[in-house]
Amino acid sequence: MLKYGFIAPALIILIALNIFPLFYNIILGFTNSELSTGGTECAGLRNYSIIFTEPKFAAALRTTALFVFAAVTAELALGFGLALALKDRFRGKTPLLTLLLIPMMLSQAVMGRYWYLILNGESGILNNLLGMAGLHQPQWLNDPGLKLVSVLIIDVWMWTPFMMLIALAGLNSIPQYIYEAAEIDRAGTWTVFRRITLPMCAPLLVLAVLLRTTDALKQFDLVLATTGPNDAATQTLSALLYQTVFKDSRVGLGCAYACIILVIVIALASVFTRYIDFIQSK
Amino acid sequence: MKTRMIGIVAACALLPFAAGCGSGGDKPKQTVTIWWAQWAPADGLQELGQEFEAETGIAVKVHQIPWSSYQDQVFLDFGSKKTSFDVVVGDSQWIGRGATNGFYLELTNWLPTAVDMSTVHPRAARYLCEYPSGSGRFFAAPCETDAIGFAYRKDWFEDAKEKEAFRLKYGRELVPPETWDDFLEVAEFFARPREKRYGCAILTGRAYDSLVMGYQQIMWSFGGSWGDETTYAVNGHANSDAAVEALWFVKKLLKFSPKNGADLDYGQTLEAFINGSTAMSMNYFAFFPDIVSNIGDKAGFFIMPRQGDRRVVSLGGQGFSISAKTSPEQQELAKKFIAWFLQEKVQRKWITKPAGFTANTAILGSEEFRKANPYNAAFAESLDSLQDFWNVPAYNELLAAAQKYVGEALDNVKTPKDALDALAAEHEKIFRDAKLLKQ
Repeated sequence: MLKYGFIAPALIILIALNIFPLFYNIILGFTNSELSTGGTECAGLRNYSIIFTEPKFAAALRTTALFVFAAVTAELALGFGLALALKDRFRGKTPLLTLLLIPMMLSQAVMGRYWYLILNGESGILNNLLGMAGLHQPQWLNDPGLKLVSVLIIDVWMWTPFMMLIALAGLNSIPQYIYEAAEIDRAGTWTVFRRITLPMCAPLLVLAVLLRTTDALKQFDLVLATTGPNDAATQTLSALLYQTVFKDSRVGLGCAYACIILVIVIALASVFTRYIDFIQSK
Repeated sequence: MKTRMIGIVAACALLPFAAGCGSGGDKPKQTVTIWWAQWAPADGLQELGQEFEAETGIAVKVHQIPWSSYQDQVFLDFGSKKTSFDVVVGDSQWIGRGATNGFYLELTNWLPTAVDMSTVHPRAARYLCEYPSGSGRFFAAPCETDAIGFAYRKDWFEDAKEKEAFRLKYGRELVPPETWDDFLEVAEFFARPREKRYGCAILTGRAYDSLVMGYQQIMWSFGGSWGDETTYAVNGHANSDAAVEALWFVKKLLKFSPKNGADLDYGQTLEAFINGSTAMSMNYFAFFPDIVSNIGDKAGFFIMPRQGDRRVVSLGGQGFSISAKTSPEQQELAKKFIAWFLQEKVQRKWITKPAGFTANTAILGSEEFRKANPYNAAFAESLDSLQDFWNVPAYNELLAAAQKYVGEALDNVKTPKDALDALAAEHEKIFRDAKLLKQ
């Protein structure tokens, strides 16, 4: 009995903060629960019917998918490139690395507001610099075609250092003797990269992609700080969830949205973890 | 050592109880807690609250919440068994939700005893206090009555060279515009983007309600409407030819606005004017004290232009609503404060506070009020033309849909006709879900 006493506190916290809310969320997804009134009546599958018939959810899903794909791809490419450039020792590497890591350590919401000022079409510093150079000054946060691009720019700026850090760890874990053996075999740069560097980094890179994908799927802070949660051009799934629960007060519908998002995240995570297992088994 | 430690810990644990016994059992001071948004009028209300305390011994605490999270916090708090506030100075659109969900205490029998309703401007009473509108049932008492107006650069308008150039181009005097066509001409005249000068900054912000507040008064003056207030039919109203024409007119105005003119909220239209770049700026009168303190007498103010003989102004402002989820004793204290506040002598003090606007007709019509601040005359003139957005419980969904589709028209994602057709369809869906539209 004593052994159960020792694990009971952790178990109680786990159930209270994770298991119970999960099941309660699923149940609320079948009700018409409201935030302020607290009233809850069974609504059957009505919420799910709304989700799959209203264009809002499909639009938010498209925006989120586009954002995740573009952000993670850009961060991976840039992060890996930076890692390759910073792999070897050189003078000033440590301070440079520290500088590059700073964006990752800052609050997303605060940085979103700073970039909101930077990207201001009229008085923002970016457009002022473009104007001084005689270049076109886009309306970053007004042009519907550029709003999502603006959020992407901020996200890539913030999270490329994360990818770089993971890639650097992967690159540093490759034993030097493998490169020496490849040099002896007269393998070219591209062959070394394709046959040694990339495959040996792959598990860590896939892990980094998994982490960033699940993070990008939750994207909310930057959207709230720059364009607001109700903007059609940038409304991600999280922004739609926020708008539904906290602005429209429709908790039941919001819970149904959350269940769908959970299923998507679990599916994606399963695909990634199987891929990681596959690479490691090779 | 161990015994000494146990003794020290036990003594510390008992200390609060000892302190409580030593206090002599003093009664906590009576306090009325009011929640309001974080802005200048709330400071004025706190100052008046201190005077109330000096007179009655009842303290008044005005808790200010940033606008961006005000609505969320208030309605989250209404989800509790007991609210953290006794009175909320709620936005006019909240009244339907507050009344139908039992959040707001009904004041129908009490309010006429606290204030002579004939001294309250009828539009303020209708839109700030009544639900449903025109029903005679009150769920709020007037606190801050507000309206949208324009600030303009008086020095630019009075400059001799500008006046001459305007007269040559348009064949009339350069004066604050009376009609929307006049407004367009003046905006066009002052639009000089190479000099970073713009003709107008109108409310087009997407975050909360500024786009709807800015657009709807133009829509109404062009002859459009949000819908039939009796049947809740929207098709043929929100997307009528008049409404489409109004939206095209707003797009024309944006050509003479700053580059980010299609997404300017209250703070940004204020900033566009204060930074000296814009000739005319639209905003709620409650924001105009900032203009006066920054620009002084270089700024003048005028009422919303008319289209033909139709002039309509977006209502702003909030009323005092007493929480139905606070104790009856606190509700009585709240009533005492509100009744005190509504006295004419207190209203005369209220209007001396920055952005303190009254609904008292006697004060509004007085010369004293008109001269008290440079924007007061235009404000007083605006009240007869006030109108509000839907205030039904589903107002927030209606507002979000309106913000979205009108915004899409401004962003050229949809034509005004397509945007308003989509808006009408969505509004009717919302009304059907809310069981208001029977079709």
